[in-house]
Amino acid sequence: MNTTATAAPESSGLQGLLRLASRFQGYVGLLVVVAFGAILSPSRHGVNLFLDPPNQAIILRDVAENGIIAVGMTLVLIVGEIDLSVGSVLALVGTGAAWLLVQPHWGAAATVITALLAGAGVGATNGFVTTRLRIPSFVVTMAMLSFARGLARICFGGIAIPVLPVPGLAPESLFVLARRVAGLPVPALLLLVVAVAIGLVLRYTAFGRHVYACGGNPLAARLSGVAVDDTKVAVFAICGLLVALAAIIHVVQLSQGSPNDGVSYELNAIAAAVIGGTSLTGGTGKVAGTVAGAWMLGMIDNILGLNNIAPDVQLLIKGLLIIAAVALQRLQPRS
Amino acid sequence: MSDPAKSGAPEPLLEMRGVTKRFPGVVALDCVDFSANAGEVHALMGANGAGKSTLMKILAGVYPLDEGEIRLGGVPLHADDPRAAQRQGIAIIHQELNQVAELRAFENFFLGRELKRARWVLDEGRMKVETRRWVAQLGLDLDPDRKVGQLRVAERQLLEIGKAMSLKARVLVMDEPTTALNVEEVGQLFMVMRRLRAAGLAIVYISHRMEEVFAIGDRVTVLRDGRRVDSRPIGDFTRASLIQAMVGHEPAGAIPARPRSVGGEVLGVRGLEVRGTADRCGLHEIDLTVKAGQIIGVAGLLGSGRTELLEALFGVPNPRRVRGTVTVRGRAVRLSSPRDAIRAGISFVTEDRKGQSLVLPRSVLENASLAGLSLFVRRPLPFLDLRAEQRAVEEMVARLDIKPPTLRTTVASLSGGNQQKVALARFLLLCPALFLLDEPTQGVDVAAKAEIYALVDDLAREGAGVLLASSDIPELLALCDAIHVMCEGRITGSLPRGEATQERILDLATRFGRARTSGRQETASP
Repeated sequence: MNTTATAAPESSGLQGLLRLASRFQGYVGLLVVVAFGAILSPSRHGVNLFLDPPNQAIILRDVAENGIIAVGMTLVLIVGEIDLSVGSVLALVGTGAAWLLVQPHWGAAATVITALLAGAGVGATNGFVTTRLRIPSFVVTMAMLSFARGLARICFGGIAIPVLPVPGLAPESLFVLARRVAGLPVPALLLLVVAVAIGLVLRYTAFGRHVYACGGNPLAARLSGVAVDDTKVAVFAICGLLVALAAIIHVVQLSQGSPNDGVSYELNAIAAAVIGGTSLTGGTGKVAGTVAGAWMLGMIDNILGLNNIAPDVQLLIKGLLIIAAVALQRLQPRS
Repeated sequence: MSDPAKSGAPEPLLEMRGVTKRFPGVVALDCVDFSANAGEVHALMGANGAGKSTLMKILAGVYPLDEGEIRLGGVPLHADDPRAAQRQGIAIIHQELNQVAELRAFENFFLGRELKRARWVLDEGRMKVETRRWVAQLGLDLDPDRKVGQLRVAERQLLEIGKAMSLKARVLVMDEPTTALNVEEVGQLFMVMRRLRAAGLAIVYISHRMEEVFAIGDRVTVLRDGRRVDSRPIGDFTRASLIQAMVGHEPAGAIPARPRSVGGEVLGVRGLEVRGTADRCGLHEIDLTVKAGQIIGVAGLLGSGRTELLEALFGVPNPRRVRGTVTVRGRAVRLSSPRDAIRAGISFVTEDRKGQSLVLPRSVLENASLAGLSLFVRRPLPFLDLRAEQRAVEEMVARLDIKPPTLRTTVASLSGGNQQKVALARFLLLCPALFLLDEPTQGVDVAAKAEIYALVDDLAREGAGVLLASSDIPELLALCDAIHVMCEGRITGSLPRGEATQERILDLATRFGRARTSGRQETASP
């Protein structure tokens, strides 16, 4: 305490603002995007189309799928790994779930459970291969990206399986996922539940601490008695489970399961996590930031859609946004 | 430049005046003056966090300075970036040498300024010849084709110094260059330094090792809390007065040798064998015991198997490489992972704080409780009792006097001594029966060192057994009840307190070649 601590006069202005911005990166970004959305939105009959509650509900519904995957991705990134296979796994599990739904003997519950277990199984496989064979997860999950997509197309013949809420065709109970509760789409509520649950696990359980420690310094974690490999396998399994959940939502929303869906979803998930402040080097990251990041991406898509801007331009803007978010992290003053 | 400062120049070659550097919330350097003459070794001393490395980073152009000026040979130095500083004659030999391990010696030597033929083609032949010539001037015959990763630290250092010479360095800053060297290598390095000094270089020497500063230094400048507190010829200092200048008060010094009461056996090792690997030496016929209340030392040169012994007792190596029996409090234990070892009541504080102990991006709190999280789990639900955790860690922070005493700061921003205390705190929470400590005071300032000694003594008094590996022989002599000396993976001798002396330890530590033919001669390898 001998160091001459001053009130840091010069860090009050721009620097302080910058630090605040980077600390609450996801949320500041959200506010900026909402403001832009409100300004740029076309209005009809005096109603701001962007801010209109039904439109906001649509955004939330669209965000849920990527948000749930991105939460799983956040865990994987915090533990110092990456999962590139989420899009293909979504297609595999989603198509599989659709196929089960149209089988006469499988109910909704059995389908959901089977799908979740399958997703967790694929994730655990990623984890096992990564940790036991000591192959970088980038390579392992890239291989799984290819493998799962191929498997989905082989098993289901490369065609979409329709899932319609028609008695005898698919259990109706599942279509609760397409409804709203108190104005909020059910998938968005599911995202909220998932985010809160994973957030609590990260903050309040030994497992959560282990996840951060394994990503920050795996050797130190091992020498502190943390089962590093098991922790990583568990994280991959959770990510796979969340992908399966997203897959079910996907199938219900589109009323079909297609082995060709989910292409490049991994990039959207990574983008949401990174925009939300998760570092690709492991050891840091927060679920709330990721949800904010996913929401932000959803709103941007929506604004551009309302203004009839081509999807290609949306890609362009997403790219710029990712760079801006990471640049903000780099600018963050360190003591 | 006007004149490269030959005989006894009246004006200092390097002059830093009124250097001030502020970081958010902290004044790291407060109007510091520092000067170095041509042809002198100027020791820069101070506790961790005193501002030594900040001052040198400013000199090297890594940080811009907020106030003050730097003159080199009477001309203002414009060190806006490291390359500019280098061009004007400032060279820094960093503790962690900035070399690319995968590149060959000559490629490192000419990295960023490769010699070329025509316009684009690398002139490997000339680069090799040049590299060899510069390094030979420092007394090292080096094959320029060897990869730097395969060189010994001492060789890498000389390569780096040779590179500085080839860049026409006039000021050479050496940051703790002897940490990873053995006694012989330190001697060689000092010879090189004397030669460079005679050639008119100004050498700034940063070290925590008192003996070395008295052996090689001409002048000493002491920094404390970002201020210069003293700067005089070395002859004006005694060991005690120098320490006092650094810490600001008389240090507790070596712990008083009050006898500790010794209890039952905590650790028993019989016939421990570990098969060596490419980069780790093996262990052979290790027998030792540690009793409650004892501090047992493990001495040996670098690569003697000190660290490997502690690692083996903590379950770090693949269990397939390990044979022999280990008992903890009389019960045989199977140590196939660090997890097993921790469950058996063993704790291990590694020598490599940043690489193996700390999770740098996480907070003091999270680092301190990492090994003991199960203590804070509220059964039957798997949730942590954050308040109990915080209380326990707060207690540790207070007990170990960790600064700053906030739990939320990331450990990356702490000084070396405080980082080490966090690493210790992690295992103190577990109240283990046996502590394995590997170089617990390496790179730690004098004040923190004394605190760590007192702590280790306390642990033994409270009934833990301590196995302490260190390259710092005075440290072992001060703390240990007995010292096992290792060489090439074997215990070559064990000395009880009273019989252990620096000379006897060094003698036992250099008994090379028991596996080979020759006896105990000090033949240097080729």
